[in-house]
Amino acid sequence: MFSAAAESFLRQAREAQPEELQRFAARVAAQLQGPEPGPEAAACLQRLHLVVAASKYPRRLDGEIVGLLQKVLCSSKCPEQIQLLCAAILREMSPCNDLSLSCDNIQDTKLLSLVSSVLLAQGDKKAEVAAVGQRIVKVLEGRLPEGQSSRYLLPVLSNVISLSPEALTEEQTNVVSKKMADWLRYASIQQGVAQPSGGFFSNPRTRQPGPVTEVDGAIATDFFTVLSLGQYYTEDQWLNMQAFSMLRKWLLCYGGKGLNAPNSGNRSEMDESVMSMVSTTSTSSHLLPPKERLREKAFEYCQRLIEQSNRQALKKADGDLQKACLIEAVTIMDIICKQDSSYVYRAAAFLKVLHSRISGDATYARALLPIAQFFLNHGEMAAVDSDAIYKHLLTDIPAQLFHNASLAFEFVLFCKENSQLFAETSSIFRQSFPNLFKFLAWNSPPLISEFVDLLPFLLDAGTAIEIFHLLLDLPCLTAALDVQIRSTSASERASCDPAVKPATCLEAFRHPLYKSAFQYLLRIESAPEDPPERLIPLRQLLGSLASSPRVVQCADTVPVLLELFFSVVAEFADGPLINQLVVLLLQRSDQLYEIPAFKDDVHRVLSSQLVMLCKLHPALIVELSKELLEFSGTVSNIQNKEAVFTHMVWAIGEYMSVSYDKRCTVEQINRFFETLEAVLFEVTQVRPLASIPSYAPRAITVLMTALTKLAARSQDLIPRVSLFLSKMRTFLQSPAVTSVYCEEDREEILTRATELMNLLKMPSVAQFVFTPSVDAARSRFQKEVNDTLPSALRIVTRLLEPAPGFVPG
Amino acid sequence: MTPVLGGVWAQWESCGPPPPIPPRMMQPHFGGGRARRDPRGRTGVLTQIPPPRRQVASHCHLHQASSGRPPAPPLPEDPPSLHNAPGGLFRLAPGDPFPQGTSVAWLAAPSLAFALVCDPRENLALAEGTLRHLAPRLLAALRPPGTGVLLRPDAADLLLDRLLPHGQLLFLSERFLQAVDRELSPACW
Repeated sequence: MFSAAAESFLRQAREAQPEELQRFAARVAAQLQGPEPGPEAAACLQRLHLVVAASKYPRRLDGEIVGLLQKVLCSSKCPEQIQLLCAAILREMSPCNDLSLSCDNIQDTKLLSLVSSVLLAQGDKKAEVAAVGQRIVKVLEGRLPEGQSSRYLLPVLSNVISLSPEALTEEQTNVVSKKMADWLRYASIQQGVAQPSGGFFSNPRTRQPGPVTEVDGAIATDFFTVLSLGQYYTEDQWLNMQAFSMLRKWLLCYGGKGLNAPNSGNRSEMDESVMSMVSTTSTSSHLLPPKERLREKAFEYCQRLIEQSNRQALKKADGDLQKACLIEAVTIMDIICKQDSSYVYRAAAFLKVLHSRISGDATYARALLPIAQFFLNHGEMAAVDSDAIYKHLLTDIPAQLFHNASLAFEFVLFCKENSQLFAETSSIFRQSFPNLFKFLAWNSPPLISEFVDLLPFLLDAGTAIEIFHLLLDLPCLTAALDVQIRSTSASERASCDPAVKPATCLEAFRHPLYKSAFQYLLRIESAPEDPPERLIPLRQLLGSLASSPRVVQCADTVPVLLELFFSVVAEFADGPLINQLVVLLLQRSDQLYEIPAFKDDVHRVLSSQLVMLCKLHPALIVELSKELLEFSGTVSNIQNKEAVFTHMVWAIGEYMSVSYDKRCTVEQINRFFETLEAVLFEVTQVRPLASIPSYAPRAITVLMTALTKLAARSQDLIPRVSLFLSKMRTFLQSPAVTSVYCEEDREEILTRATELMNLLKMPSVAQFVFTPSVDAARSRFQKEVNDTLPSALRIVTRLLEPAPGFVPG
Repeated sequence: MTPVLGGVWAQWESCGPPPPIPPRMMQPHFGGGRARRDPRGRTGVLTQIPPPRRQVASHCHLHQASSGRPPAPPLPEDPPSLHNAPGGLFRLAPGDPFPQGTSVAWLAAPSLAFALVCDPRENLALAEGTLRHLAPRLLAALRPPGTGVLLRPDAADLLLDRLLPHGQLLFLSERFLQAVDRELSPACW
């Protein structure tokens, strides 16, 4: 495996000792001091770079070698490879105090760019960023020597303003803005000529090149843009491309009022200029100040790009570029409109036409997002009814293109950016949440963290129930989407005989028995009234897809989302909603998609959240007594959903009390007691000649404890419980049981039974222990259900059966 | 493309089905300097931010797993055409490892993954396109694969200097790319 070889190579480099390094550096220095550093010097520098780069801590090199590297870097006689290596080493060592590099006297623009890369990596302790910025602007302003090109300078400038927008004065930004406007608008529309090596001057004696073309081969109809093609490019055409590439950043930084970091949220830049219907025309634009002039030219450039995107590109790469340009152009128009609202009308009209053009084209779907964002930002001002745009975006796009991972990612980011819209109850955005989950269902790994951020905005009293079901059925949705895709691409439509049960999921997709269930699962809008029970047969049918990797990946996200769901719901849910959730929780716990690990994980989450809900609203035990009696009385629940059962029984024991609800009557306590007693009896029955099923020991101890708690409150029941508990020893010692439960578990059950029995010998103490004040109960945060209780029980046991010397006095 | 953070981290991983634990990543680091200025102030502390190898690896593996197909064996000699290579986008939360939240575009070539860390409001469609142009050229420039790649940061730097100068994403048409290739071809070493 070469990776193992590379590993060991890297380790060698990392483990080079400082003395070794110094010796090697000295060797490198000797090589570099020669007349013309050659391939050997390059090889040495490469090794030196690896040692410096591979180490996890900064490597110190002698000041002398640093100085030499600088000198060689700036030397005009040096081959480019050597210069690159010197720069790379110096960058790896940044910040470097011995650096005395300066860009002030460098005339060669390529070298200036290289030296700047070193300076900009130093962390700006000595105002390197500003120095580089100043120098770049100065060079741009002035006349370049023969053979030098400005095109290497714009990326440096872009870097400078990312690091430190205040590095440039207003005067300097005006200079650059003015140049950018010219580069964007007035680049040559004639192709360049083949260059002899070195130099960028055009030789008028070569044959005349033709005009540049559009991406579809037609002659260019208007000014040069990045979508204009030529065999060779002129200097100003390169600058056109570079200028557009950094235009967004530049406008964000310097286009608005005052200074802004290019990455800051651009919502703060609303220009307060008077709204004007009359836009400035290009004939008078040379009278505009530089910032405004750039804005005008930028706007025209974006309009041109949008028009150019209408053409059919001959090369795939150009087609992809068209789409990226479209996205950029719309985004820049949005920024321009934020900075000068007089552009809004022009832009809105233009973008509405664009939207109609591309809304049916799936390959342009990503561009719909910045268009929608534009109308969200400016639609009101433009008095445009943008509802159709949002509706198309939210209903059609996720349903048809959920499998496009990049679109899915950007769509969800868009939702996060505009999350306040999803919080508005009746908005189109909010209603479409089932559609949004399709993105997550299909592309779970990259989107789960984004959905964790988005989910709280979708949740409120009106959507909680529907979202609860949706989350539990998310892997099911993945499977259904899979069937949908295959159904769309199936060459033949399988004929559907309604009388015959479908053999495959694909057949079922159109079968009348399952069709409406599929439609419900794949719905594009919220449907809170529809009963989710109709999905039960569909879930079973889709079981054949339960092991597909995508479904499993989706299933992994559900526990996380469920926990988040409950933590958000806890903040606003009232009694009735909590009751509803508890009932559904119990119901759904055995209506889950059959993926083994998935069911266990979901049960784990649901059971702990059940306890949380009971803590929030203890009265639910009384209010839902009918449902809870039924649930806790069903013995099979201990096998099928042990965690949920155990936690439910614990909650009954804990909260079935007058302290929590004045309506709790003795009759109710007795009813619960009888139900739980019957279950415990069933579970601890030793049938001769039959093997007993293994019930989780935890279930047994929780049942015993719950019964004891109830008895402590309705003390007539104490004799019954005590009798039961005393029989536990016999149960645990019977041969059938010893083969099913390990010794530890039996020990645990027996100990608990004994402790509980002892407690019941002191009924008033038992009552105190088991019915603490409501406040104390709330502050007891029990992660494990029976955590604090055992210690309480042990103390009581010790009081009853004191070890010698334990009881004081 | 945050320029100082900029650059492409090329990561070597073993061929074959993904092991249960993420494979050890070697990390020849190319591109712009890693040091960055603390945004809290000019005199802030410089921190070396480790590139997001682990996250890229796990997204590659998960994407591969979800497709249900075994990983394609690497073609021996030809520069691989990466037009249909798997790729995608994911997000890094603020603080992990960059102070601000960032989006990452990734592209998987056989036995190698490339990642571009983007500024918060960068054109992600352009970033993905840039990776698809950059990756095959990097692979071609760094052939043959092996430990020797670790000793050629200059070859990668040269490419990055033209296609991603100072971390700036460029709107390059096919013709502009050809022009760049022409400029670079006599300089291949």
